[in-house]
Amino acid sequence: MSSSVTVRVLRRLQGLRAGPVRGPAGLRAEPGRFLSSGGAMNVFNRDMKKRQKQRVAALKDGHQYDYLRDEVRRITAFCLLRTFPLALDIGGGKSHIAEHLNKKRCRQTEVPTRCVVVDEEFLPFKENTFDLVLSSLSLHWINDLPGVLRQIQQVLKPDGVFIGAMVGGDTLYELRCSLQLAESEREGGFSAHVSPFTAVTDLGNLLGGAGFSLLTVDVDEVQVHYPGMMEVMTDLQGMGESNCAWNRRSLLHRDTMLAAAAVYREMYGNQDGSVPATFEILYMIGWKPHESQVRRTVFLTELTKITLKGERKSRKKREKKGN
Amino acid sequence: MKLLTHNMLTSHVKGVSKGYPLLIKATQVKVNEVDFNPKFVSRMIPKLEWGALVQAAEGLGHRQDLPGELVSDYEQNEDFLKKVHRILLEVEVMEGCLQCPESGREFPISKGIPNMLLNEDEV
Repeated sequence: MSSSVTVRVLRRLQGLRAGPVRGPAGLRAEPGRFLSSGGAMNVFNRDMKKRQKQRVAALKDGHQYDYLRDEVRRITAFCLLRTFPLALDIGGGKSHIAEHLNKKRCRQTEVPTRCVVVDEEFLPFKENTFDLVLSSLSLHWINDLPGVLRQIQQVLKPDGVFIGAMVGGDTLYELRCSLQLAESEREGGFSAHVSPFTAVTDLGNLLGGAGFSLLTVDVDEVQVHYPGMMEVMTDLQGMGESNCAWNRRSLLHRDTMLAAAAVYREMYGNQDGSVPATFEILYMIGWKPHESQVRRTVFLTELTKITLKGERKSRKKREKKGN
Repeated sequence: MKLLTHNMLTSHVKGVSKGYPLLIKATQVKVNEVDFNPKFVSRMIPKLEWGALVQAAEGLGHRQDLPGELVSDYEQNEDFLKKVHRILLEVEVMEGCLQCPESGREFPISKGIPNMLLNEDEV
């Protein structure tokens, strides 16, 4: 799964300078915002995220910001080595995954697809329905990730599988560091400008806690190269991936931005003048428990024993040859 | 919204214990011809809540002679599979709403897409 793809986006973005979302300066940490009614953490303003996505959906040139999603969804679709009669794609967007399941590469999918408008945090499906649940780059804006994983596990049939991809903790570390350094220098302190992400070390526990078995977690880094920091931020906005945490600071001073761009280029810049932006992608696979899985696990254990026996025999042969 | 989709949907409004099946209130229903794929239909049948499908078809006036009980040898029964295919994939609710059977909350259907988003006080 780790393909370590480098997507190069060295393009000029003249005429595409969408202005920043204006709002009152200072922090937006409102009292009572950090615990939802269900007791789960309330980190993200989901209404703001919905507005961001709606704005992006209305863009005429929106397809040019799909390069990261296309790359991740191609890899996610590549994991499907078996036929699943009924699948759910959470946060399907422009049907990138369905498109990658086609025999011929085209926007129109050969897979019969139906759309339902839902909130990823509250899945309106009956239990034990789907053979497969997919989610590609949509779970990182969810407040109650353990709750959503539990719901995914519930809507899966026994022996159904969840295949997901989400951005992880080291995503956009270059942007994060540059903004923090520039803001500390110019304004005597810094605030969060990049959303908090899930760490890969937490993912296994989250999936296990939600009731999944036979877990697989993998990490991949996708590095995209841009003309400069401003283009990174423009593209994030075009992807609908601008920060929507409640405690975000909605306005950055112009000189702080310019300083951050200079720090970014100085610390991380490439020789050709471009700057990299790193996206850490966490891939996860979890199965809903079923009695057949016990047999399968035993079989795999037996296979390991056989392999080890073979390894021992060949080692003995090598040792004999050495003598 | 095809009846295959409706068969999977439930209401998760806070305090609701019986949110399935959702009642269909249709203002516009369309019947489109879809290529018959017996293999696909027979794979979908075990996933269906049969009673909910019959009830939905009845409510839309498209039940025709769809039996109240699922027939046992449906894989070999092409006539039956065609009836199920028609109701599952050809009948489509374009406009209207889905109503939660317990709370009465209505979820709009627009251009064939049901909107299942909840308000802040419903979660």
